[in-house]
Amino acid sequence: MSASDRGLSVALRRTLGLALLLAFWEWGARAGVIDPFYAPAPSTVAGTLFALFQGGTLYPHIAATFSAALLGLGAGLLIGGLLGFTAALIRPLADLLEPFMMLLNAVPRVILAPLFVIWFGIDLGSKVALSLVLVAVLVFFAVYNGIRDVDRRLVERVLTLGGGRLAVLREVYLPSVTAWVMGSLRVAVGFAFTGAVVGEFVASSRGLGYLLSFAQSTYNAAQTLALILIVMAFVLLLFWLGGWLERRLLRWRHP
Amino acid sequence: MSARLQVLPQPEPAPRAPEALGERLLAVRGLTLRYGRNPPAVEEVEFAVAAGELVSLVGPSGCGKSTILRAIAGLHRPERGTVELGVARRALGFLFQDDALLPWRTARDNVALGLRFAGMSRREARAEAEAWLARLGLAGLGGRYPAQLSGGQRKRVALAQVLALRPRLLLMDEPFAALDAIVRQQVTQELLRWVEREGIAVVLVTHDLEEAIALADRVLLLGQGPRARIQARHPVDIPRPRDLVAVRGHPAFAPLYRRLWRDLSRAMGREETP
Repeated sequence: MSASDRGLSVALRRTLGLALLLAFWEWGARAGVIDPFYAPAPSTVAGTLFALFQGGTLYPHIAATFSAALLGLGAGLLIGGLLGFTAALIRPLADLLEPFMMLLNAVPRVILAPLFVIWFGIDLGSKVALSLVLVAVLVFFAVYNGIRDVDRRLVERVLTLGGGRLAVLREVYLPSVTAWVMGSLRVAVGFAFTGAVVGEFVASSRGLGYLLSFAQSTYNAAQTLALILIVMAFVLLLFWLGGWLERRLLRWRHP
Repeated sequence: MSARLQVLPQPEPAPRAPEALGERLLAVRGLTLRYGRNPPAVEEVEFAVAAGELVSLVGPSGCGKSTILRAIAGLHRPERGTVELGVARRALGFLFQDDALLPWRTARDNVALGLRFAGMSRREARAEAEAWLARLGLAGLGGRYPAQLSGGQRKRVALAQVLALRPRLLLMDEPFAALDAIVRQQVTQELLRWVEREGIAVVLVTHDLEEAIALADRVLLLGQGPRARIQARHPVDIPRPRDLVAVRGHPAFAPLYRRLWRDLSRAMGREETP
């Protein structure tokens, strides 16, 4: 059996496991073993999902959540990255920032959501802010540690081969940091969506989080599950993109 | 500031015997080196290296041999004393003890690195790098990443990286210590052949007395640290080019080995002979 055959059979078994669970669930809901009020049959959820997309009213909500998450992710990567970079290279700045960042890292940052609503209103701003804070703190530590962890020997290699400061930055620091950031990118994507959706729970007039909290208030389990599936699908898509990027950028690691 | 590091554009004229043979590439004067608040590791170290001369620096582990090389390369600031270079800094090569290559660069790009710093175009540098890899028996491996190479292959890449810059003075810090005996012998012989042919001057740091004698024109013995000084200087009167296996059978080899061993034991505070 070749490696690709084995990979195929693993994928097959996993799919089979999922299919079995769904089949059991479907049977249970129909036979009355599982209460459909709490756990509606997969076919019901699929129907709800279909209806959500068909109406066309869903798209503005997806767009709202998506833009909040992506803006938060982009800005968080940028701000967290820049802060981490400068803090690692400029000692006094690190002393200034570290306690603040430690505190932000220690508390569950979603507790800032109500404050952001007061500061930035119920529109996009507060969601982006929450997303940003969640991501930025994570990326700050990734970059900070990445730079602190740079192999001194590599720096000396570049210097003795005639490279200057810029060469050290480009040849040693950036690639080291990239490896660290790629390692936390998946978590960052998850955080970005957490920020956006939680922000929408707290106060909003659209977005998937808004729809979710609406579905919950009407005890609509089918719609809740359908919306969860949508969010999961997007996050998985981004994971896949991130994985692709990681394989490309860190090819040297697993050649 | 007491510490000074200067680069002289011109070599010093009229070198004195027996310290230098011809044109000097390196003169180390009154070099005292320390780490932090510790007592100096080495003190008042003096030596010079002429063009094409191979000098071995031996001594007990931890006596500060490596630090002397680092100071010559400008990686460690001396407490006192000067390092004068008779060559441009880019004609100075440093071969380190470990084989740390940039893990995110292929073997080819690792070798091309210094050439790119020297202003060569990417295409030219890659072609030159490939030629150097081939010269060191690594033809066809240019596209591999360091993680895909064996220890001996990585060492050869590191060697190509340094030799590609055509150094006139090569500093080597136990460069082959981590290799197994057979590969080590091979790589060392290849390097020796190249160094003899191109007339590259070498300062070799090692704690292997046999290696020190086999490669060098002069062996300098550093005493036990801290405050280690040069305890003895022995010329090696064995003609070149040398074969690493045959050189051990040369009549001058064994007596010198015994003398060095006696000096080294004395330096370490033991009156012993093997």
